[in-house]
Amino acid sequence: MASRPGRLRPTHERGDGLAALIGRTALGDRSAFEHLYRASSARLYAVALRMVKDAALAEEIVQDVYVSVWNAAASYDAARSQPLTWLAAITRNRCLDYLRRRELDTVSLTPATDDADPIDLPVDAPTAAELLIAAADARAVRGCIEGLESRQRQAIALAFFQGLSHGELARHLGQPLGTVKSWIRRGLERLKSCLDAAGATR
Amino acid sequence: MNLSRPDRPDRLDRLAAEYALGTSPPRVRRRLAAIARRDTVVAAALDEWSQRLAVLGTALPEVDPPARTWDRISARLGWSATADARPSWWNRLAVWRAATAVFLAAAVALGVLQTVGKRAPAPGIVVILAGSDAKPAMIATAAPGEEVLHVKSIGATLPPAGRVFELWGLPKGAAPRALGVIPAGAVVELPTRSAAVALLASFPALAVSVEPPGGSPTGAPTGPVVFTGQVEQMF
Repeated sequence: MASRPGRLRPTHERGDGLAALIGRTALGDRSAFEHLYRASSARLYAVALRMVKDAALAEEIVQDVYVSVWNAAASYDAARSQPLTWLAAITRNRCLDYLRRRELDTVSLTPATDDADPIDLPVDAPTAAELLIAAADARAVRGCIEGLESRQRQAIALAFFQGLSHGELARHLGQPLGTVKSWIRRGLERLKSCLDAAGATR
Repeated sequence: MNLSRPDRPDRLDRLAAEYALGTSPPRVRRRLAAIARRDTVVAAALDEWSQRLAVLGTALPEVDPPARTWDRISARLGWSATADARPSWWNRLAVWRAATAVFLAAAVALGVLQTVGKRAPAPGIVVILAGSDAKPAMIATAAPGEEVLHVKSIGATLPPAGRVFELWGLPKGAAPRALGVIPAGAVVELPTRSAAVALLASFPALAVSVEPPGGSPTGAPTGPVVFTGQVEQMF
């Protein structure tokens, strides 16, 4: 398929190629799968590294993701999501499964050390929020993110990029749990209606 | 927790949003994941939010994983570096060979193939396309002397609303080749512009994917592959 002229973003051009690679992977084409890995693994590894903050663990998560992509490529629907979005969502969920499981273990094993933040978290909240705004390379997404209140944006950015849970966010931000939960809830509601109205999810 | 009850869509939406963002408490997360494995409404809600939020992460600078990562993935999938490059859809199809053979005999006995039989007493080709449950969904046939494929749907085999089924030939060791969008209807024809028997005989197997109207925009399957089947010579 000829690429469209003009303002098409490179990620989109790559996206079309990735969608075809996922389609061929679904049919068991190993060389397509390897191409898919070469074209997307640096993005997924970056996501995992940022969330779990451990190179060996991030690598293991990336392996898990590609093994499950090989087995589940047929469930990818190009009309519903961009290939990299789909892959990144799988990766984030793997990371979150790991982080939440660890949180559960930490809590049940050492209930008294609740104050000890298990995540080595430098004060990089601005960085997370900046990343979120920078993510908005599509104007529609940028508009939606900028439409959030700054505390909503900060809480969502921390959760999104650092994988913090409600409890960890409350501790990190020094706010009551209920307050943080409500920032997140309202922020997500606003993001949803804005992103969906802009058709930005695809 | 019955999350898929339609009287509480707002609650499911909120839980799915927090699941996708990752802020759900560990127990809620685990429970939602467990429910999603058997409840498609909950699974769809989680998926929708995961896709929606993943858009936000596109600015993260890329980092190459260690070079060994690909080798480890290959090893976990049971491929060695020097393994036979035979594509694994062939392996997957092998699982269905027995079921297909049994069904083929039954289909002939039941007269499912009689329309082809009438037109084509000489050798033709039949492909029984089945989903992962091995339940036949479509039968594609080619008769000698014709430049058309006959596709018969078994039962109520319909694409999702607003989508179409597209038929693909799966050459050994090469990319799938589009054979055309399957028109709606229980018994339909797909023009092949060349001898249909020779065309089908050039593929070990066929597949059907779900595509946007008009067929795949990329020339390769883009939607889920829903049915596959081995190409069988009749008689």
